[in-house]
Amino acid sequence: MRILVIEDESKVGCFIKRALEEESYAVDLCEDGAKGLEMALATDYDLLVVDLMVPSMSGLDILKRVRRERIRAPVLILSAQSQIDQRVKGLDAGADDYLTKPFAIDELLARVRALLRRGATESPGILQVDDLILTPATRDVTRGGQRIELTLKEYALLEYLMRHTGRVLTRPMISEHVWNQDFDTFTNVIDVYVNYLRNKIDRGRTKKLIHTIRGSGYMLKAD
Amino acid sequence: MPLRVRLTLWYGTALALVLIIFSVVLYAITARNLRDGVDQSLEETATAAVRSLEERGFLPLIDEEELLSQFPELTRIDKFFQIFTPSGTITIRSPNIKQHEVPLSRTALEATFNGRTVFESAKYPNEPQLRVISVPINYRGRLLYIVQVGTSMESIEDTLHRFLILLIVAMPIALAAALAGGWFLAGRALLPVDAITLAAQRIAAGDLSQRLTMSTAPDEIGRLAGTFNNMIGRLDASFRQIRQFTSDASHELRTPLTVMKGETELVLRRPRPLEDYQSVLESNLEEIDRMTHIVDELLFLSRADMGEVKTGSIPVALQSLVEDIQRQATLLGQDRNIEVMLGTVMPAVVQGDELRLRELLLNLVENAVKYSHTGGKVEIALVTDSRHARLSVTDQGIGIAPADQARIFDRFFRTDLARSHTKKGTGLGLAICAWIAESHGGRIDVKSDVGHGSIFTVTLPLAPRPS
Repeated sequence: MRILVIEDESKVGCFIKRALEEESYAVDLCEDGAKGLEMALATDYDLLVVDLMVPSMSGLDILKRVRRERIRAPVLILSAQSQIDQRVKGLDAGADDYLTKPFAIDELLARVRALLRRGATESPGILQVDDLILTPATRDVTRGGQRIELTLKEYALLEYLMRHTGRVLTRPMISEHVWNQDFDTFTNVIDVYVNYLRNKIDRGRTKKLIHTIRGSGYMLKAD
Repeated sequence: MPLRVRLTLWYGTALALVLIIFSVVLYAITARNLRDGVDQSLEETATAAVRSLEERGFLPLIDEEELLSQFPELTRIDKFFQIFTPSGTITIRSPNIKQHEVPLSRTALEATFNGRTVFESAKYPNEPQLRVISVPINYRGRLLYIVQVGTSMESIEDTLHRFLILLIVAMPIALAAALAGGWFLAGRALLPVDAITLAAQRIAAGDLSQRLTMSTAPDEIGRLAGTFNNMIGRLDASFRQIRQFTSDASHELRTPLTVMKGETELVLRRPRPLEDYQSVLESNLEEIDRMTHIVDELLFLSRADMGEVKTGSIPVALQSLVEDIQRQATLLGQDRNIEVMLGTVMPAVVQGDELRLRELLLNLVENAVKYSHTGGKVEIALVTDSRHARLSVTDQGIGIAPADQARIFDRFFRTDLARSHTKKGTGLGLAICAWIAESHGGRIDVKSDVGHGSIFTVTLPLAPRPS
């Protein structure tokens, strides 16, 4: 899951980025409104976290522009303004949620999880393919009732695959949603991580879940 | 009591008084005119009778028929006549008097003896009033006859009576009609007042964007509405200002709180190396300093607003102040290789508070350094004319957009350029500078080009020269 954070207060942006990264999300941070909008339009983010008061373009304008461009990614507004009319304005402009500063990290992460869940049609909170179960809230992964320990990146990759079960995911798609903008596209890092995942999930089991689609990418499915 | 009722009552009372006086006078004049008419007609008849007697050489009047045939006007039904001798006996009288006697009164007798004509009124029970004229007929200085002509006042009394009834009936009707009209007119005149009241109630309910929308005709109501709208406009503006200020202040205070809370929570989520905790504590300390700074400046400004900040008033030599600040600011600029230089510095003495003036100048120079590019130059200059000292701080930094130049002295206002250039700064420094300049009877101006730098000029009145 790749998230764009537009926040001009660099310390706030940094700790949000770090908190989200520790939850295995891929995070891009931008401190300028207009630049942030450019990034939001250029990349297929799964979630935008936008501060209302950023230089060169207000959060509200970014939001309106993003919605006009038919970008469906959920948007979480951050603001020091706690007045009701401000929240209403933000939500009416197309935001999905509103968080007032100062906020608790746990609440931010819970709201991010909730917003990402909203995009998927699965039962809330749990992703399941065959006997493989992933719980985003606790980041527990089990297969056949057996716990599987994953690194942050492995987890992020698996979550992305599981949220798009049965669909072919190309390497560029995977890199765009699992890694942030610092990722170098010309390496074979994705193949390496898919191999790590295979070792932990499919090795020693008769039913393979991760499939290689020759010439295009990977797919996760039950049969 | 509502104004409409009071207006109508006052109007009604005044009108009733006028009507009553008018009616009384009208009635009196009419009655008098009618009676005068009767008297005149009696006198004419009497004169005619006297003339006819004179024509006949005052012969004793015996034959009634002869007289009547000669003067048919004497038999007119509404008048009677009789002729007395000075002794009071009747010699002749008209036939229409036969019902009862009308004797010669004592006053009439005395008056006619003295040669005067006299009018009298007489009243008999169950009959209308009679009006009688008695005229003496003298011959060679001796009273010969007394001619009396009388008439009934019945028709006049009738007329007056009807007139009185008309007045009594018509007056309340006219009054009622006038009251209804007055009520209606008062209501119409007061209609805009009701509209103003309603609008004022809506506005009082908290919607300061409301305005009165009645005609702005230059009448009393139009002026009232105009004044009212002006007042609401000013209230609206000051409420907006306060709201803006509160929201800005809370934003500025929430940001460091957000950093402290977020960083602390994040670092406490799991065990981490010692350096992580240290860096969070250091960062929090920075934020605490920032909040302290904001709170100090806010406190200063609110005390300044309430007039509680005392400024000393002693002669301050600006020249040495400028040199001092330049030395201090050179240290500030060293990190980023920014040179702080002195331009023209003339000696100048102003009356004021040295600490505040130092704060003012230091603030401006700090800003100039803060918003300069690495390797830039900042120049401090002090020039004087006959009455003013002009302190200027010139930089080659990021500059201020023309649209923002008027607002940079507003509390908490920071331009986007300033925000993206440096996170430090509370947005209160220039507000304080402006206050200090104004409290010294001076002012502060800015000239700026985006990308080329800014010049802040403080103009202060010179201290009066000791004579």
